[in-house]
Amino acid sequence: MSTETAVSVTAAPSKAIEFLKRPLVVALILIVALLALGEALSPGFASAEQILRLLVVASVMGIVAAGQNLVIIGGREGIDLSVGGIVSLAAILAGNVMNGAESGILPAVLVAVSVGALFGLFNGLGITLLRIPPLVMTLGMLGVLQGLLVVIRNGIPSGRAAPALSQFVTQPLLFGLPGIIWLWIAIGLFMAFLLKRTVFGYRIYAIGSNEQAAFMAGVPVKTIRVGLFVLSGVFAALAGVCLLGYSGSSFSNVGEQYMLPSIIAVVLGGTPLAGGKGGYTGTMAGAVLLVILQSILTTVHIDESGRQMVFGATLLVLMLFYGRGRAMRG
Amino acid sequence: MSELLIRGARKAYGATLALRRGDLHLLPGEVHVLIGSNGSGKSTLCKIVAGSVKPDAGEVLLDGKPVTIAGPQAARELGIGIFYQELSLAARRTVAENICMPALPVKGGVFVDRAALEAKAARIIEAFADVAGEGFSADAPVNTLRADQRQLVEIMKALATEASILIFDEPTSALDRAQVDRFFEILRQLKAEGRAIVFISHRMDEIFAIGDRVTVIRDGETVGTSKISETDQASVIRQMVGERDDLATPAVAPPAHQAQRSAVLSVSGLSGPGFRNVSFEVAKGEILGFGGLHGQGQSAVMRSIFGADAHHTGTIALNGKQIAMKSPREAIAHGCAYVSGDRSRDGILQGRPIFENVTPIHFLRNQLALARPASLRERAMRPLQALKTKFQGLEQPINSLSGGNQQKVVIARWLIDRPDVLLLDDPTKGIDLAAKTDLFALIRKLAENGMGIVLYSSEDAELLNNADRILVFNSGSVTRELTGADRTRYNLYHAAYEAA
Ligand SMILES: Nc1ncnc2c1ncn2[C@@H]1O[C@H](COP(=O)(O)OP(=O)(O)O)[C@@H](O)[C@H]1O
Ligand SMILES: [Mg+2]
Repeated sequence: MSTETAVSVTAAPSKAIEFLKRPLVVALILIVALLALGEALSPGFASAEQILRLLVVASVMGIVAAGQNLVIIGGREGIDLSVGGIVSLAAILAGNVMNGAESGILPAVLVAVSVGALFGLFNGLGITLLRIPPLVMTLGMLGVLQGLLVVIRNGIPSGRAAPALSQFVTQPLLFGLPGIIWLWIAIGLFMAFLLKRTVFGYRIYAIGSNEQAAFMAGVPVKTIRVGLFVLSGVFAALAGVCLLGYSGSSFSNVGEQYMLPSIIAVVLGGTPLAGGKGGYTGTMAGAVLLVILQSILTTVHIDESGRQMVFGATLLVLMLFYGRGRAMRG
Repeated sequence: MSELLIRGARKAYGATLALRRGDLHLLPGEVHVLIGSNGSGKSTLCKIVAGSVKPDAGEVLLDGKPVTIAGPQAARELGIGIFYQELSLAARRTVAENICMPALPVKGGVFVDRAALEAKAARIIEAFADVAGEGFSADAPVNTLRADQRQLVEIMKALATEASILIFDEPTSALDRAQVDRFFEILRQLKAEGRAIVFISHRMDEIFAIGDRVTVIRDGETVGTSKISETDQASVIRQMVGERDDLATPAVAPPAHQAQRSAVLSVSGLSGPGFRNVSFEVAKGEILGFGGLHGQGQSAVMRSIFGADAHHTGTIALNGKQIAMKSPREAIAHGCAYVSGDRSRDGILQGRPIFENVTPIHFLRNQLALARPASLRERAMRPLQALKTKFQGLEQPINSLSGGNQQKVVIARWLIDRPDVLLLDDPTKGIDLAAKTDLFALIRKLAENGMGIVLYSSEDAELLNNADRILVFNSGSVTRELTGADRTRYNLYHAAYEAA
């Protein structure tokens, strides 16, 4: 039995220290620290419009991480490595469907989201029915998606975002905040509602915590797990559409850079890779933190490959920090 | 070769006195049978000798010299090897690795000598090669093996210690005839080498076939030791259950009017892995006991009724309506509840709040989509309080509770919406006395309010004290039904042990 938990509950030494140990609090403190560091390195780093720009980038990452978060909470070594491929595919499909026309936005979103859901469905079915480990299944799916992207790029021109979509992502919509930030906030509320107020949410934690016990309590384990991967595909596709709006046109492999950060954001936010615990608020903070880190690295002229290395190292340090036992077993 | 003497060994778990006064005198070159009913303290005594349980009192003399067995490692160094009843295998490791685990051959001071390991394992496996059955090989991971094959691995693991004192705690419970015969051949060989062997089994034929002396233990106390050649089955059973006169009266009076009540659960011709042609009915308000030796199909029948394990044939009807019972989900929807004794596997959602641990059945039975914690709190509290669960708040993680309280939370989840049938599969395993008392008081009340209850317990006293009627299981079939005044310790033991 987990006596560690028992101790931390019954013998909390000091409320303040417990509070400071919470991942969300840690992330928020780090955010402030990194902003200060950025400002010191390059004055203007922490200016209002710069922060807003960072938040826009964080929104895209955070939307991908929402799906990743659900899959990870669902346990059984849940992870979705195919999100990067889905982001790219959704961006290309959406760009081609709308091709610069406002009237094409809705169909483009529908197409992108359906395709994302479909790939998520394949992932989920492979994992539950064929019992392929999530790591293997989604990595395989990433390979399929990358191949598909090469074929598509050779066949069709890269599409363009409709001006309204670009505006939604980059220009202020309400109270000075761009639409995508509002979208992200809405997703944050949706996630909180899903996880804390719906039976589906309770069941996600249940299967992540103890799949056998959940099964014995009548939880439709497989259906829920498939649902998680479908949701992950949908969130990745949404992020792909937003990314199209951000960059104006869809170009090669835009999504690839989101795979690792989406996982790191989740772990940074206090959701252990073992599943059955955690939530999305921390993940949002994790996404912001990562984007600031990314930006600082750019400021000091570290290129994409260097940034990826730093991210990889961050994940490893995090696993160390949480301890393998804690992170993997809850 | 060694002589072992244990005097006045005592061990309490909280309020449960597992062993009151354990005595055992073990001589070189003998197979010493230890016998006693379920829960009488045999395993506890064995674990004390093997160093895995620290006794509260008592002394151990090895070849006349007092020793303290500080831990499993110390026991090994003293030349004591053990077969654990609950097995001690690493599920993902191979047969060979498991066999050599207690005494890994080492090369150069640090590295495991794989060649030596495989040679040693091969030698031991060889002895069982023709009886081990399909899929058994040195490099098979243990979790791919059947129950009997795992038990063989645990036997081999004990043999590999080459200890001069070997303890076998129910090593034959899952073995077939040929496997038991082979095991006995080896025991005889070890005996001839002058080793001292403790052998626990409930099967009378085995005991009389292999034993030299028998020590009987009852309610945590050693009653006496006799030569096998100078005793017989009836007197061993009498020693196990105490004076016959004490046992003539049934533990509880059967409830009145039982015959008139309608059956809430009827099972007929149920067969599946581990049980054959089981039929019975449970009336509203009745507590039906499943008795017999451990693992005779009691658990398998319950899990099958609940839809938890694969296929069965035969029919199951709830309130007169036949139901396929393909999954727990289906069983729950039809008003069936199941509490497993293995709460960490089948019951608790580790790390989640108590609230989430008590609500899943309520959500399912009411087909709810929204959780609404605020309005559910009170309904969740009621069964927890009825079971006298000790906790600070519903938000507290379940792991922070004691074992008994965790089990109460798991049971409470079935009681927010009353089921019609409650299947209790050894529900009190590892929980303390006070919790047991609370639990059985509640179960009786539930029955009085019209629920049909099936109770399996690995402790015979619990069954006799709480069941209105007992079905005795043997090798997957019901061999005897004890009703009314027949529900005595003597009859239960006789039915369970003799036929086995
Ligand atoms: N770890 C434990 N915690 C609490 N109670 C225990 C524990 N182990 C054994 N017991 C209790 O001690 C008693 C004797 O158990 P055991 O030695 O396993 O009996 P036997 O092997 O004869 O069936 C039983 O009542 C059992 O419930
Ligand atoms: Mg035992």
